[in-house]
Amino acid sequence: MTSYLGIKEIWQVDMKTLGIKWTNNSEMQFDVVDLRRKCPCAMCTDEMTGKRNPSNDLIPDTVRPNLIKSVGRYALTIQFNDGHGTGIYTYDYLTKLH
Amino acid sequence: MAFWSKKNKEKEEAPVPVKATEPPTGDLPKKSQENTLGRIKHILAVAAGKGGVGKSTVSVNLAQALQSKGFKVGILDADIHGPSVPIMLSVQTPTEMRDSLVVPPISNGIKVISPAMFSSQIAHIMRGPMAGNFIRQLLLQADWGDLDFLIIDYPPGTGDIQLTLSQVCNITAAIIVSTPQDVALADVRKANHMFETLKVPVLGVIETMSWFVCDQCDKKHFIFKKDGAKSFSQTIGVPLLGQIPLDPQITECGDSGQSIVGKYPESNSANAFLEATDSVIHELSHLRRLSQDGLLSFSLKWQEEKRA
Repeated sequence: MTSYLGIKEIWQVDMKTLGIKWTNNSEMQFDVVDLRRKCPCAMCTDEMTGKRNPSNDLIPDTVRPNLIKSVGRYALTIQFNDGHGTGIYTYDYLTKLH
Repeated sequence: MAFWSKKNKEKEEAPVPVKATEPPTGDLPKKSQENTLGRIKHILAVAAGKGGVGKSTVSVNLAQALQSKGFKVGILDADIHGPSVPIMLSVQTPTEMRDSLVVPPISNGIKVISPAMFSSQIAHIMRGPMAGNFIRQLLLQADWGDLDFLIIDYPPGTGDIQLTLSQVCNITAAIIVSTPQDVALADVRKANHMFETLKVPVLGVIETMSWFVCDQCDKKHFIFKKDGAKSFSQTIGVPLLGQIPLDPQITECGDSGQSIVGKYPESNSANAFLEATDSVIHELSHLRRLSQDGLLSFSLKWQEEKRA
């Protein structure tokens, strides 16, 4: 039986940094502005080519999350204060950003 | 500056911890946002990808077997387009509401919610988003109370309903059901892939319609091939949890609103279900040892001002 990577702890490090401790005890920090610009939703990232919408580079540095929530056992979703919140950030995606 | 970096232990900002038990919320009434699933210890998905292999029969008998072992059990019939659990457990339409939540009717000690309870004679003709909302309501607007196991009887396929269920709740594990022949296993393989993608551990495979015992010669006839699901379980690296024979008594029980585990507990078929249930419990304890204290669900509200 396979045991999948999950989140053990998640916390706000500072105004623009998200911290995650995975169930394998590794820890990562994510710049929330980069997370917004690298949103994996279909509006921000082309499903076929994987290319990001060029306008995402223009997202201001002031963007912040309002709320971060789990999605099942495999992902999290972020509601940003610019009104965007359709991205489902799978744990695979987040760890590959590393 | 790197997009991410190893956590800097020297940072002065205090971590903002997250309550591990905080439930997911959505566009639901306030009452149902209070954790309707929070008092459920294990959520098990019974799925196949393929229709007609016996998912509901396995769900009902697994539930009854767990109930007979003293566990508190509920079933969510998630097959919006072809619900069959209410017939198989002879359960009536809910009549009681508590704090804006539906109180699930109880049949043979099992709490049951099914789309058929609300409209048994009409088809639910709806597109994916509607089906997704419907299943969310069935799951989250029911007063499940304290349960050891909530068994979700999945519909066939790997579409909207399956995805919604896997996103709305933290499914402890999945049980794959299949008949032995390759035609069924081709779809079952896709269900297994779905659970891999959604990071839901698969406990194992239960093979149904494994053999038929002729009442004239007492010989096992492997009508749909021998050990097909057993080979499949080895291929995907999970245990074969049980093999259930093709037995007219199982059909009789289902059609009369009872599980064979409840009605004929001494029968060979009931024993096959009971043994499969023991395997499920065993594999769950194994899974618990493998799991590393991950959060069941979380909700982190971002603070605008840095905390001291």
